[in-house]
Amino acid sequence: MNTISTINFEQPDIGVALDGLSGAELDSLEFGVIGFDADTLVRRYNALESQMAGLASTRVLGSALFTAVAPCMNNFLVAQRFEDSAADGVALDAVMDYVFTLRMRPSKVILRLVASPSSAMRYVLVKRRP
Amino acid sequence: MVPIASDIGEEYEALVQFLYLAPVGLVQANLEGEIAMINPLSAQLLFPLSPDGNLTNLFLVLQSVAPDLRHLVESCSSNNGMLCDGMRIPLAAGNGGKAQPTTLSLTLLKLDQHRLMAVINDITQQVARERMLQQNEAWLNAIMLGVSEYALIRLDRGGYIHDWNPSIGRITGFSAENVVGKAFSVFYPVGSTTVDRMADRLREADESGWSLDEGWRLKADGSRFWGSAMITPLSLRGANAVDNGVQSTDARIFDVVSPAYSLVIRDITDRRDASETQRKAIACDHLTGIGNRRAFFEAAELEFLRGKRLPRKLSLLMLDLDHFKNVNDTHGHPAGDMVLRDFAAILTASFREVDVVSRIGGEEFAVLMPSTDLAQAQAGAERLRQSVEMHAVQVDGTAIHYTVSGGIATVDSDSADFEVLMKRADAALYAAKAAGRNRMAS
Repeated sequence: MNTISTINFEQPDIGVALDGLSGAELDSLEFGVIGFDADTLVRRYNALESQMAGLASTRVLGSALFTAVAPCMNNFLVAQRFEDSAADGVALDAVMDYVFTLRMRPSKVILRLVASPSSAMRYVLVKRRP
Repeated sequence: MVPIASDIGEEYEALVQFLYLAPVGLVQANLEGEIAMINPLSAQLLFPLSPDGNLTNLFLVLQSVAPDLRHLVESCSSNNGMLCDGMRIPLAAGNGGKAQPTTLSLTLLKLDQHRLMAVINDITQQVARERMLQQNEAWLNAIMLGVSEYALIRLDRGGYIHDWNPSIGRITGFSAENVVGKAFSVFYPVGSTTVDRMADRLREADESGWSLDEGWRLKADGSRFWGSAMITPLSLRGANAVDNGVQSTDARIFDVVSPAYSLVIRDITDRRDASETQRKAIACDHLTGIGNRRAFFEAAELEFLRGKRLPRKLSLLMLDLDHFKNVNDTHGHPAGDMVLRDFAAILTASFREVDVVSRIGGEEFAVLMPSTDLAQAQAGAERLRQSVEMHAVQVDGTAIHYTVSGGIATVDSDSADFEVLMKRADAALYAAKAAGRNRMAS
């Protein structure tokens, strides 16, 4: 069984670990978590992500991630990679530097993109970088 | 009524979300380009362009595609006002993935002495629609103009002039023996077209029902006039063409001597000034007067399309002035500008009219050479290098010498895409620089 302390941003097979966490457990993580389904609708949105973006989870859950929540990722670097991995039926696990526009401030972040044919939930994980 | 604290929180959140979801890029920066505020759509469009993976400086982010922004801001002396309105920034040759825009539009507003506001849009679709409209407009121009000013010519299947018509003499001054049996390129100035390009026109006429171009045309006495040339197939659509890969059994396919196309050439010199001014505003680099990035990428895209239909050679020469920063540092920016203008003039004189010479960055230039193989491209590049090396620009009594390095890449028609060609030419340019500059590599 996973305990919260075992989940860190870099660990392998993080998607499986996140799938097993409750909402409260997600909220206690020290990085932002956005979970979305095959239709890109946001299903999980943890406290840290909510706080960084300045948006309550109620405004976000059920909305389309790339068009109605975080359009900054709707390009070939992020959205396209999720689409490609789904179309090709292969797993995606990629870490990249990115810039978010949290509350309109350019904010350097590290993204981890996670998707797997064996899980219904895809994740964008967000960590601030210096 | 003054809202209570929780209402303010709600309103703030709603406002943030409004800006998050605005379908247009908004950026606020200071006059040095340092970004203070930026919304998500800007990040979507700009992050892929960022050379350092950050979005801290707008000028730096756009440097490779719009190098003149800093200059534009510096040269504005008033405290506020529009610096550019809907400036078009081409990003690539238009063969990227589905989520990759090919043209951005940028509006830059100076709010006061400390702040700039930028509005950024992806106008890829709009540009494609406009191009189609322009073609339609040119077509209308061609058929609506005065009926007395045209030459009607019939061509055979190979594009050779089939028979003589007095209107040819009236417009061009050619006689029957000058033209019958010759390719219709006889009406085009030397260097302004290629054999492949002529074949493209016939094929386009077969596929679309007509093919139209505007440009310089040649008279018998060697003088030029600005003309439009429209080619239409004489037989029904497709009868000249090969349908679905199966050759038609129509006897005309094998009949190479009967007229197969009509070619109408009109003298539209009167209209040229207006359309040229418009064309220059859109396609020319304001400093040097040669093509800009937009013209370059459009031409490249078009040439790749042509190559897909009808295989041919295509060469690309990427150029970079050596130690250009030294020229600016030693002699000042006005002298640097004169060197850039001088180089653009040598570039134009060194290549054919059909070659596309463009300034694509600060001191970066490119030449697209249709129907040109590697050996020909190398020879042209070397001629250019020598011309530049052997001459000097006079600025206030001082002779400034400069040199240029270049990278050449050539594709056969079945090569992947223009980005690949550009990367190869860039790699060759890098090699030329690394090998000591003032040289051309391939």
